[in-house]
Amino acid sequence: MKLSLDWVREYVKVPDDLQAFCDRLDLTGTGVEGAEIIGDAFEHVYTARILTKEKHPDSDHMWVCTVDVGAANLDDDGNPAPLQIVCGAQNFEAGDHIVTALPGAVLPGDVKIKKSKLRGVVSCGMNCSERELGLGNGHDGIIILPKDAPVGVLYSEYLANTDTVLDLEITPNRPDCLSVTGLAREIGAMYQEDVANPLPEAAARLESLIEGRPVSEDVTVTIADEARCARYNARVVEGVKVGPSPDWLAQRVTAAGARSINNIVDVTNYILFLYGQPLHAFDYDRLKGEGGTVDVIVRPAEEGEEFTTLDGQDRVLNPDMTVIATPERAVALAGVMGGLDSEVEDDTTCVLLETATFSRAHTSRTSRSLGLISEASLRYERGVDAAPIDEISKAAAALMAEVSGGHARPGCVDEYLERPEGHDLRFRMQRFNAMMGADIPEDFVRDSLTRLGCTVETTGDADVLRVLTPTFRPDLEREVDLYEEALRLWGMDRIPPTLPASPERVGRRTRAEGIRRTVDATLRACGLSETMTYSFADALDLERLRMDGVAAGQAVELLNPMNADHAIMRRSIFPGLLRSVAHNQAHGVADVQLYEIGTVFSTTEGRQKPKESTKVAAVLVGAMEPGGWNAARVPFDFFDAKGICEALLHELACAKVRFKPLSEEEAPYLQPGRAAVIMANGAELGWVGELHPLAVAAFDVTGPVAAFELDLAALTKAARPARDYVDVPTHPAVEVDQAFVVAEGVTHEKMQQVMASAGGKLLESVALFDVYRDEERVGAGKKSLAYRLTYRADGRTLTADEVDKAHAKLVQKVQSATGAEVRA
Amino acid sequence: MTTAEELSSLKESVLAQIASAENTAQLEAIRVAVLGKSGTLTAHLRNMGSVPKERKAEIGRAVNQVKAAVEEALDAAKASLAAQELAASIASDAVDVTLPGRAQHIGTRHLINAITDEIADIFLGLGYSVIEGPEVETDYYNFEALNAPADHPSRSMQDTFYVRDMTGREAAVKGESDILLRTQTSGVQVHAMEDEELPIYVIAPGKVYRRDVADASHLPQFHQIEGLVVDKGITFGDLKGTLDFLCKEVFGPDRKTRFRAHYFPFTEPSAEVDVSCGICGGEGCRMCKHTGWLEILGCGMVDPNVLSMSGIDPEVYSGFAFGMGVERIACLKYDVPDLRMLLDGDMRFLRQF
Repeated sequence: MKLSLDWVREYVKVPDDLQAFCDRLDLTGTGVEGAEIIGDAFEHVYTARILTKEKHPDSDHMWVCTVDVGAANLDDDGNPAPLQIVCGAQNFEAGDHIVTALPGAVLPGDVKIKKSKLRGVVSCGMNCSERELGLGNGHDGIIILPKDAPVGVLYSEYLANTDTVLDLEITPNRPDCLSVTGLAREIGAMYQEDVANPLPEAAARLESLIEGRPVSEDVTVTIADEARCARYNARVVEGVKVGPSPDWLAQRVTAAGARSINNIVDVTNYILFLYGQPLHAFDYDRLKGEGGTVDVIVRPAEEGEEFTTLDGQDRVLNPDMTVIATPERAVALAGVMGGLDSEVEDDTTCVLLETATFSRAHTSRTSRSLGLISEASLRYERGVDAAPIDEISKAAAALMAEVSGGHARPGCVDEYLERPEGHDLRFRMQRFNAMMGADIPEDFVRDSLTRLGCTVETTGDADVLRVLTPTFRPDLEREVDLYEEALRLWGMDRIPPTLPASPERVGRRTRAEGIRRTVDATLRACGLSETMTYSFADALDLERLRMDGVAAGQAVELLNPMNADHAIMRRSIFPGLLRSVAHNQAHGVADVQLYEIGTVFSTTEGRQKPKESTKVAAVLVGAMEPGGWNAARVPFDFFDAKGICEALLHELACAKVRFKPLSEEEAPYLQPGRAAVIMANGAELGWVGELHPLAVAAFDVTGPVAAFELDLAALTKAARPARDYVDVPTHPAVEVDQAFVVAEGVTHEKMQQVMASAGGKLLESVALFDVYRDEERVGAGKKSLAYRLTYRADGRTLTADEVDKAHAKLVQKVQSATGAEVRA
Repeated sequence: MTTAEELSSLKESVLAQIASAENTAQLEAIRVAVLGKSGTLTAHLRNMGSVPKERKAEIGRAVNQVKAAVEEALDAAKASLAAQELAASIASDAVDVTLPGRAQHIGTRHLINAITDEIADIFLGLGYSVIEGPEVETDYYNFEALNAPADHPSRSMQDTFYVRDMTGREAAVKGESDILLRTQTSGVQVHAMEDEELPIYVIAPGKVYRRDVADASHLPQFHQIEGLVVDKGITFGDLKGTLDFLCKEVFGPDRKTRFRAHYFPFTEPSAEVDVSCGICGGEGCRMCKHTGWLEILGCGMVDPNVLSMSGIDPEVYSGFAFGMGVERIACLKYDVPDLRMLLDGDMRFLRQF
């Protein structure tokens, strides 16, 4: 909402200190988003006088003038020097006093004035019309000032009416503030100043402007659905001559942010900005039916009804939308915008003036469905007060008649179906102060609420005030709404800060939160950096990742995505992570260690809310370190990813951790042979592997990419509070190194299982320390696995004999269970 | 040569060898050659059996004297040579301590989560717990239960992403749906009031979504931290004191806060909170658009309708709620020039935090 201070000062005193005023507006709930001083636009714009005027040598309509701008232009000796200016206007003669913009001026519309050549002739400025200065609509020619006007004075000083226009953020609960009179009332309450209401006098002026037949003779109004329109007032102004607005009117609507169109439209906008009441001016003759009457019908639109709004757009309507219609056709989209074929045009002589109020909900939905927001819809969806409609209609008709040379026909048709009522509320002073933590006096509360338009009365209870709220404040429905008014006007800054005194509260971390913290801390300790990627995804992402065939459920589709790349919600974090890897590689960063803990989404037919699950996803590309003077670069592979998973599951004290190979069918997104499912206690936690080279290439990444994904809920379930305590050994252990040659298909896990069961109680641990393949020495299709076996007994020192016996048994069992040969 | 003469010459030659030994290894070789199992002096001791009885005492004494002298000389020489050798070894082991240490790779927390952690810890200290809510919400939790019923004008304050409703239901407005990406973490307030026992002291950090084109200062997905207190006797002063404490903890003890009346459908009275600009100290600069203040969060007393809808009696309980944008804090604290960097995953960016 743009507020001209010049305008609002007609009704209330506004402090001179602009900064303090803006701060007070900000603090009491009216945000100031900007302040524009209208005169600022006139920097480098001076009063001037035409000295000579000659035909342009190369144009039949332009003139070459010398213009006296006084001391605004000086020659090298410091004497005033006239300027040569090429001018296209026809309405001036030598000797006329005019307004000239010099080089450096920036006129409304960001028009920069520079020294230039027009058809070969140098021009050092521009002689201005009203429109070029944003002062009004006059563009018939340049401004001609009176003969006694001074020369070489800043035009803004000459006008002496610089105005400040504030750009205000009006919150959706305050429809009353979308008007100059509403803001005047607000400012009055802010500063305890009295406010003038111009409406009664403005409406009274109509009496002397009435002529002709009563409106009711040939105008009818029918409201088909009273839930959509509580009041509809039609008045007729005839004998109008459409033309430019007077300067004062053009200036007001321009300052309020509208364009000056013509006297009729400007009056509707002036009233809209002044009182917050949208109006619509129809060309009366274009509404007339065959019988010569105007029959206005407010009705739901028909399904698929086509309508052209006055912005020239063709709209397809539905029955939730309301139209203003004649029996023949729709002529306006109620509450939002008029129709193209019934608008006021230059030849209009008679106007039907609509002053009405429409349903907030219907207006809001219509505006959103059509993507069409207007000054009218903005106000209707927040609520327009039906009570003053007749008075405002009179004021509008009077002004319209005055500026267009017409007159209003007697009376009006006023369908008033539902009268708005204020609320009858109590205000408990003690409760108010207890809730605010303050001691705000009753006098202040009474005065503030009264200035805001409420009627405040005492009751039998000294603590309780009775407050009747005005109809223009639909937001004041409950006692607490009044608390807010009193508090904001008192000043939130005056409330002393305290902390809640609750004796009952404790802050605690949940188990899930604790586990999440452990996961984060462990992954960082393992060298991974946390990242975040988009929750949105491309519909083809899973196919690129080769995961589409094995992902559960369906994608969650957005109805209004920002773009096609972000059309659905992600079902996997990996496409995002791979894009980050590609970004790094494209910027010369070869070593990437990233993880993200985030939500993935899926749904199924018939399901309302999608399934959300939290995944821990990581990628390792390149190496941990680039290699240095004392460390070799060790490229990442499967075992780096697996090692991190093992460390994490160890930190979370997961029991019975297993890694089982995944086949290409089970995990087509992973490179076959380098893919495993991660289990703990028999439950699946996720997978680890190297991403399939085709998936990696599909995201323009140079692989290999070692990766893992864990389900956070499954991890939380598998995690234990702590590992079991085991006594620290006091007796020495015996270590035996043993290498076995086995077929390729025999896994380390199998060897471990056999040794663990064969070693019995004495075998404390098994550690693999070498894997060796050599066709000659070990044999084709075979590998040598070398283990360090640690034997130890509880509470005593083992004898050599015991160890030998136990080890021999172990070797024999391994041989029989796996076909292993002992390697010397 | 008599035995005595032999011993004397042995002694002299050994002492000379010891004196000329260059290192402890040579000393050890000398010791073995003289005093070892088959050493020259050991041979004399071993030959004592063949020494005539009357000379045994005399020769024995002489051998022992030589042995003692040799041992003493060996010890002395060893001590001196060992010291030299240690010094030499230390000298040769010296390194350029400015060479880089052996790399230990520790990952980093994402800036947004680092800030969230910091704020969660502050509130844990104030007796709050952390809760979470879903990112895809129903219209009810995102708007309606927050006192913003259908067609409420506050809904247009936030441009919402709508999700296809797989039950096939159609919304009243074309292109909208009852299922949506939450535009605010405020819905978690409602879940908390429905699910938690009173009194409630919680914060709810999380990702939210709004239809903004990604640019330097906007992202279609960002993070908020919501706070909710519902208890007996909660005042607007408590809200002020809590947020004042938060801002001083996050931004520093010399920062001031300012409460501006505002409007949110689910709080009444409502306010926006500014923190004094850290660049200019409140004097006004480009960072704060010459106001001296930086907008940091929205807050208010929980609207009685919201309490009632969740089955809490607003005549008995009152509360406050607040919400802040984490990206906003990140920008204010770290001067991040482009919010999109938070989603790029660029290692050079991530590893700075």
